[in-house]
Amino acid sequence: MAPSLNFDREQNQVLFTGNSCVKMVILNRPQKLNSLNHEMICQIKKNLELNENDPSVKLVILKGNGKAFCAGGDVVSVITSSVAGQWTYAASFYKKQLTLDHLIATYKKPMVCLINGVVMGGGAGLSMQTRFRVVTEKAVFAMPEASIGLFPDVGGNYFLSRLPGYFGEYLGLTGARLDGAEIAACGIATHFVPSVKLKSLENALQAVNCPNVSTITALIQSFAEKANAKKTALLGEAINKCFSKGTVEEIIQSLEHELQNGAEKWITNALSYMRSSCPTSLKIFLKSIRNGRVQNIDQCLYRDYNIASHFLRRTVGSDFYEGSRAKLFDKDNKPKWEPSKLELVDEEMVGQYFRNVNDEEWECLQFPDRSNSHIASRL
Amino acid sequence: MDHHHRVSRRAEVLANHLLRRAPPPSSPLRPRRCLGYSPPELSNPFSFDAREMRRLMDGHNLEDRDWLFSVIVQSGLFNRRERAGRVFVCPDYNQSMEQQREATMRRIGYLLERGAFRGWLTGEGPQQELRKLALHEVIGMYDHSLAVKLGVHFFLWGGAVKFLGTKRHHDKWLSATENYEMKGCFAMSELGHGSNVRGIETVTTYDSNTGEFVINTPCESGQKYWIGGAANHATHTIVFSQLNINGSNQGVHAFIAQIRDSDGNICPNIRIADCGHKTGLNGVDNGRIWFDNVRIPRENLLNSVADVSPSGEYLSAIKNADQRFAAFLAPLTSGRVTIAVSAVYISKISLAIAIRYALTRRAFSITPNGPEVLLLDYPSHQRRLLPLLAKVYAMSFAANELKMMYVKRTPESNKTIHIISSAYKATFTWNNMRTLQECREACGGQGIKAENRVGNFMGEFDVHSTFEGDNNVLMQQISKALFAEYVACQMKNKPFRGLGLEHMNKPLPVIPSQLTSSTIRSSEFQTDLFHLRERDLLRRFAEEVSGYQSHGESKESAFILGYQLAEDLGRAFSERAILKTFMGAESTLPAGSLKNVLGLLRSLYAVICVDEDAAFLRYGYLSTENAYAVRKEVPKLCAELRPHALALVSSLVFLMLF
Repeated sequence: MAPSLNFDREQNQVLFTGNSCVKMVILNRPQKLNSLNHEMICQIKKNLELNENDPSVKLVILKGNGKAFCAGGDVVSVITSSVAGQWTYAASFYKKQLTLDHLIATYKKPMVCLINGVVMGGGAGLSMQTRFRVVTEKAVFAMPEASIGLFPDVGGNYFLSRLPGYFGEYLGLTGARLDGAEIAACGIATHFVPSVKLKSLENALQAVNCPNVSTITALIQSFAEKANAKKTALLGEAINKCFSKGTVEEIIQSLEHELQNGAEKWITNALSYMRSSCPTSLKIFLKSIRNGRVQNIDQCLYRDYNIASHFLRRTVGSDFYEGSRAKLFDKDNKPKWEPSKLELVDEEMVGQYFRNVNDEEWECLQFPDRSNSHIASRL
Repeated sequence: MDHHHRVSRRAEVLANHLLRRAPPPSSPLRPRRCLGYSPPELSNPFSFDAREMRRLMDGHNLEDRDWLFSVIVQSGLFNRRERAGRVFVCPDYNQSMEQQREATMRRIGYLLERGAFRGWLTGEGPQQELRKLALHEVIGMYDHSLAVKLGVHFFLWGGAVKFLGTKRHHDKWLSATENYEMKGCFAMSELGHGSNVRGIETVTTYDSNTGEFVINTPCESGQKYWIGGAANHATHTIVFSQLNINGSNQGVHAFIAQIRDSDGNICPNIRIADCGHKTGLNGVDNGRIWFDNVRIPRENLLNSVADVSPSGEYLSAIKNADQRFAAFLAPLTSGRVTIAVSAVYISKISLAIAIRYALTRRAFSITPNGPEVLLLDYPSHQRRLLPLLAKVYAMSFAANELKMMYVKRTPESNKTIHIISSAYKATFTWNNMRTLQECREACGGQGIKAENRVGNFMGEFDVHSTFEGDNNVLMQQISKALFAEYVACQMKNKPFRGLGLEHMNKPLPVIPSQLTSSTIRSSEFQTDLFHLRERDLLRRFAEEVSGYQSHGESKESAFILGYQLAEDLGRAFSERAILKTFMGAESTLPAGSLKNVLGLLRSLYAVICVDEDAAFLRYGYLSTENAYAVRKEVPKLCAELRPHALALVSSLVFLMLF
């Protein structure tokens, strides 16, 4: 019998409030951890464009209602639109999402993200490119896409590659979860503010008279505290040593080698994630983040769209569908990856994901010409 | 002399009158054969056993049906009339609304006395339930008002107490209901909310100081409307209401409230008005109810799914509000089942009347001075009535299967029953209205005479497409359910199971490019074609809905925009399900005349569905040549069924004829 799909209209999935000077964009789908669907993305994009062109607006605040900031794209609805309709429907979702990420990355007015809960995947895509990224001790960051047969997309190869050393490779290849203090310590967030003070910060931001980058910086600074990251040691040599290697196989080998010197928990977690995740996804991500180190945001998002389109179109394989089935629909947690092992994924297969899609229904991602499109990293 | 002549002329006229002289032999007026009535039975021998066919059609509890019909015809309360040695019973629609309402109650009293309702609520198990359904069908063949009045009291009020209540309610109410110690009604619909039950505005709060619920109608659009039994007779009602506990809304719940004392006086804080005269069903007293902070004991919450403790704490075993709501709508399923079945029986009666008429009435000669032709010998008249006969046979089998599913229901089968009963309720009641209109026209002027029933049925049964779920709303639910099933199977890469969708797992059926008569009549071809239509429409519908969503529409508005395909799909699902039941029933029969005639009917059902649905051409399931070949099969099948027409309708209304 059919599962009980919910047909009720979800209303007000994004709230737009604020005053004439400071605008708020509030993700309001708390029962779905604010995961982004097509409708929400369209609404946010339209609203941000209006605010950008409205000279009275000086600051935009982005936050989520409920326990999460944003757990990512609504993969269930994306996959549904592909299997019930056509793969191009799902690709069009990605196109809109990446276009929104690009708009935010090149936004001409200051944006502040208040992150007081889970931020993953598509949620990171929304927030990591904003000027101010405030986290609390309740924040949790992760890029676990490889475990559902996708890859850390939404500009991940851009913002992760700009983290210190090879920490970005570590996050993308192991789906490691960071807590609020760690997020701030490694530079993913710009400020750490304890959750008890977050509401006051929000109110203060809304009350600022004629905010600009320096007044906002000073204001946030006055609420910020030093983050006490437990795992700061991680940022050191061991990660750089392992994750600087040229191939995923070599990274695994060197992690196994480290393990012999002492079974640290982060290493066993990393190995178990990499062994259970989609082999193709891991190789694609490594290649992509290495390219991303020297490219601008446009180039990085362009590549993300090519790769995601190939996943959706099943050009090479159906791992994204299989991973979603195993993790999100059947929830048996037993995906059958194809190819099933890293050594079976050759350079040619990985290379195919990076090419343009050869399909008459497909067009590559094109961004509007924006003056600050070639920004230096904000990280 | 002129004067003399006028006197003798006048005397002759008078003499002719007084002596009643016959006209001269050259008079053109002669009795013609066509005016002589002879019962159609004399010239239409039965080629199969009508008794056996009747058994298949009625399906179950034949003796109980015959018994109840004999109880009805024995009484003077049912307008018994004898014509040409035959007994007819039919309500008198010329009576005023008040008289019809009183007549309904008197008939109920009589049937109660004869034990017709014994076990309707206190009985347990499928056998009891089938007996109840059979007797209710016989009552419905007599009068819609009587059936609805009983349906409200037993199925809606009684069903709610039984399925939504717990032991304390069962002990207090079930046997009292069965013996009519009280009269129940069912207050769900409001002026502002019908199909959207979740939106009703009546609100109930709990007063922990007194241990009472307080029911209130907060605004005019929240008045209960169309409540059968409320205007004159009901003493108690089930009230559907939002339950508000400590300021938070727990959703729709059901309560028992008394609205009249045993002398029929309206209770304090209750206001009731009459809905007045209606197009039909005037033997049912529909009313409007307002609750002005009516206080009822805490125990009157029907608490099988949720309860409120004496201190005012909300407790529910079902945490999910959607599932809780679905549980509250359970009593409506039995309503849909009985309406679907009732629609089929009314189609049977009207077809029996129209076809018997067509077998006695002649019109026009086709040769000079030749005899006039019987209506049913015109191929065009056969085309008007015989496909409807084939449909009603098909729907009979489907209705019987639905009843069996219903009486054997389990928690797992509830969803399937909900979908199939929704599909059949809409399909059968719409088909009934079409059938009635065609039969009315096929009877000419006689069709509008009240005594001949068909015309009045149109007013009586029109409401079928509205109550217990608007047909259009029900059909949308089918497409939604199929969409959910489709997505789940695609996503999980699992085969389809249930709802008859297993054919989706097989390779795409191939339709031959050249259709012959024998291919068209083969069940393999018919099955393939119906499967092809259903699977393609389901795929198209899913694609369209996803397409709308990928353009940023919400899931809900995507469904609303996709209504055209949803409509085609709902029809494809229903017609396929009906065809498959027909084939299932046919396959259990031994070879012989009965099976042969059912084979013809089944083929006629299949080809008429194809001929009437533009989807086959629109989406290319049939080439234009093949569509033409299928259409040409319709008159051939009609002609082959013509000799069996009388036996076929006699089997349908067997208990009224024999």
